Amino acid sequence: MSCSSVDLKAYVLGEISPREKTAVEDHVRTCQSCREEQESLSVAHSALMSLQDEEVPQRIAFVSDKVFEPRWWQRVWRSGPAMGFASAAVLAAAILVHAVTRPVVTTGPAATVNVDTAQIEQRVEQEVNARVQSAIAAAVTKAVTEADARREQKFAQVLDAAEKRDEMQRRVDLAAVQQTMRYYDQQMGRLIVASNDLAQGSSR
Amino acid sequence: MIFREVEDRDLISKARRGHVDAYNVLVSRWEKRVFNYLLRLVGNREDALDLSQDVFLKAYQNLRKLDDPAKFSGWLFRIAHNEAYSLLRKPRPEGEMGIEPKTAEASGRMFPMELSLAVQSALKRLSDDQREAVLLKVYQGFKFEEMAEILDCPVSTIKSRLYTALDLLKETLAPVNMGGAQ
Repeated sequence: MSCSSVDLKAYVLGEISPREKTAVEDHVRTCQSCREEQESLSVAHSALMSLQDEEVPQRIAFVSDKVFEPRWWQRVWRSGPAMGFASAAVLAAAILVHAVTRPVVTTGPAATVNVDTAQIEQRVEQEVNARVQSAIAAAVTKAVTEADARREQKFAQVLDAAEKRDEMQRRVDLAAVQQTMRYYDQQMGRLIVASNDLAQGSSR
Repeated sequence: MIFREVEDRDLISKARRGHVDAYNVLVSRWEKRVFNYLLRLVGNREDALDLSQDVFLKAYQNLRKLDDPAKFSGWLFRIAHNEAYSLLRKPRPEGEMGIEPKTAEASGRMFPMELSLAVQSALKRLSDDQREAVLLKVYQGFKFEEMAEILDCPVSTIKSRLYTALDLLKETLAPVNMGGAQ
């Protein structure tokens, strides 16, 4: 063992295995520098160990305080065995309830089912075709209905516009007729006045 | 030692269920070690006593968080370490740090007082980290791995602090011890 591999401080502190301790002691017997180093460390260690512990000037103690003492359920909760027993009891109860309430399953020979793949495929195809046709018919009906609705709406708009236009024209024509009537009334009045004047003049 | 561990585990279990008396027994077993660790770390008896009470109070409050009762000692010293460093991080007036010389009554009668004072003085010269490593290893007997858990740092860091401290202590204590032994 070389000097560099000897951990004298670990030796003095008791942190080496018995085998290492023997090796260190063998080395120290033959190496003067390591022996002197080990003696210095041991003296320092002995000096440290000479310092005795002092007595505690005042005993440290705690008094029981009801406020801080755990309640009964807290003691149960903190108690590992009690919680384990409670858990086991709950689990056992759950298993028992399940066993009592589970539905009865009758066991018997499994029914043999002959599977006709072609027939299944044919039924599937028929079902698919029927559903496709139904979907198409529904879509066409919906499209036609929507087109009819749009056409009726447009026709109603056109009819409304025509009615408004005719009403406007009717009002214009009515106004023209009334104006013509007033004109003829005025002319008739003048004729009457003129014929009266003429009749009075001839009588004189 | 095995019986002691079993008994500690039983006391911890009872204390977790709210038995204060069981916890007081646990405190009586550990208070001297914790107090002396804190005393040598912070260097003041009143602080060490206050910190010891805080340590055991926090330990009681967090006892349910202790995963493995067999690791109670390391866990307890981890709390003590945190409490001590909370105090050490606070700025303190110059010269306040340091263990007051013990009275003749308090010092051990088997060893010269000069040696005790020299050891206290030598420990005081170390950094806080180095001193704590020495306290946990030499006085509390923790393994490197346990110290790494208590101080929350790698084993290599623990060894580095401890070995550096030993080199310093070797220089300062050897002549005194030689002289004291004469």
